[in-house]
Amino acid sequence: MRIPIQINENSAEPLYHQIETQLRSLIISGQIEEGTLLPSIREFAGNLNCSVITVRRVYQDLENEGLLRTRQGTGTFVAGVGAEEREQYKKKEVVEALTAAIEKGLAVKLEQHELIQLFNEIVQKKYQPKGDV
Amino acid sequence: MEPDVISFRNIHKRRRTKTIGPIDMSIPSGYIVALVGPNGSGKSTLLNMIMQTVFPDEGEISWFGQAYPDGLPVSVRQQIGFVPEQLSLEEKNLTVDEAAAFRSIWYDNWDGYLFDELLSRFDVPRGVRLTKMSKGERRKFEIAAAMAPRPKLLILDEPSSGLDPFAWKLMIEQLHKCMRTADTSILLSTHIVDEIRRLADYVVLMHHGKQLGMVEKDSLLDNWKECWVAQDAAILQDLPGIVSSRQESAGTISFITTECLEVERILHSAGIGFIQTRSLELDEVLGLWIDGYSPAGMRK
Repeated sequence: MRIPIQINENSAEPLYHQIETQLRSLIISGQIEEGTLLPSIREFAGNLNCSVITVRRVYQDLENEGLLRTRQGTGTFVAGVGAEEREQYKKKEVVEALTAAIEKGLAVKLEQHELIQLFNEIVQKKYQPKGDV
Repeated sequence: MEPDVISFRNIHKRRRTKTIGPIDMSIPSGYIVALVGPNGSGKSTLLNMIMQTVFPDEGEISWFGQAYPDGLPVSVRQQIGFVPEQLSLEEKNLTVDEAAAFRSIWYDNWDGYLFDELLSRFDVPRGVRLTKMSKGERRKFEIAAAMAPRPKLLILDEPSSGLDPFAWKLMIEQLHKCMRTADTSILLSTHIVDEIRRLADYVVLMHHGKQLGMVEKDSLLDNWKECWVAQDAAILQDLPGIVSSRQESAGTISFITTECLEVERILHSAGIGFIQTRSLELDEVLGLWIDGYSPAGMRK
């Protein structure tokens, strides 16, 4: 199957990291199902215009994390992701996004109470049922 | 670990007008290596040395881990497919089928089905004499014939010269396919940036007969960047690989670095983020590399 991964070559984030982050998120979110056969390293590299060295590194990292398993001769498959792991990952993603937001606040020298106030405002707006505004 | 498909040790070749060497380089098994460099930098000579149509004055070459000073045996030649830059004249009066029949004598492992498939994909006319073909058609025939024996090493000297964009795309696809299905390594010389981008795992740069190094292609893309940060010029003293810089405005500086990954690490730990980054184009990278800026992570 073709794996929907978008590379931004201009980003300061290294290629292998971009691919790894996106592939991990596709697996954990369940968009690529357990048991799916991933493209061979060479095929994937060809699709992404990157080198096999980069793709091999991604496959190895995700295999070490238990998200992929390789069967000699047949290829690399998506391993099962437990429900608990999925929850943990979701939380981790949110924590990362919030951290980035707070760092942005720090960068423009926002006070703590200002940041919290902004946060609360956004939460209010987003969690309010539609039509209730 | 499989042995390197080719290794050059201390290779020198002296010609009347120029000298090549010293060359020390190994082509690892299972990869696509792009040999790049300006015209006359010695790329073809190097490839011809692998085919033993040119012999070095000094140094040693190994094929699949072994040296053959008394000449390459046929059994080793059979594992190498070669598309030379200067196409041979000897076969020019043969038709495609006659030339293929001749070549298949020399290659025990010649796969006629694969050859037929490649010819029809490339849309090469079969009954025509090679000399009557267009440059691109002849090139396509040569590529198909080099791939037909499913060689362990494919050497392509500027394979895309003369190919139209459609044929070029087909060639890239077929090379990818042959890397997927067989235990093959490819060494190709090229001037086409897009070809390096689409094919190469490693890039080797030649200049004035010297080999300036071998580096992972993705490492070039990851490391050679133009960056904008909200800082003044003082920050540059702490950053590695700076090629050039410019004060864009009172509080913003832009710079080109050959070590963006390390720059990012240093800036990140200082709490500084990029405003923007841009990957250098490969031709910019190669130009700067020739000018003496070495890439990080060079392979020895």
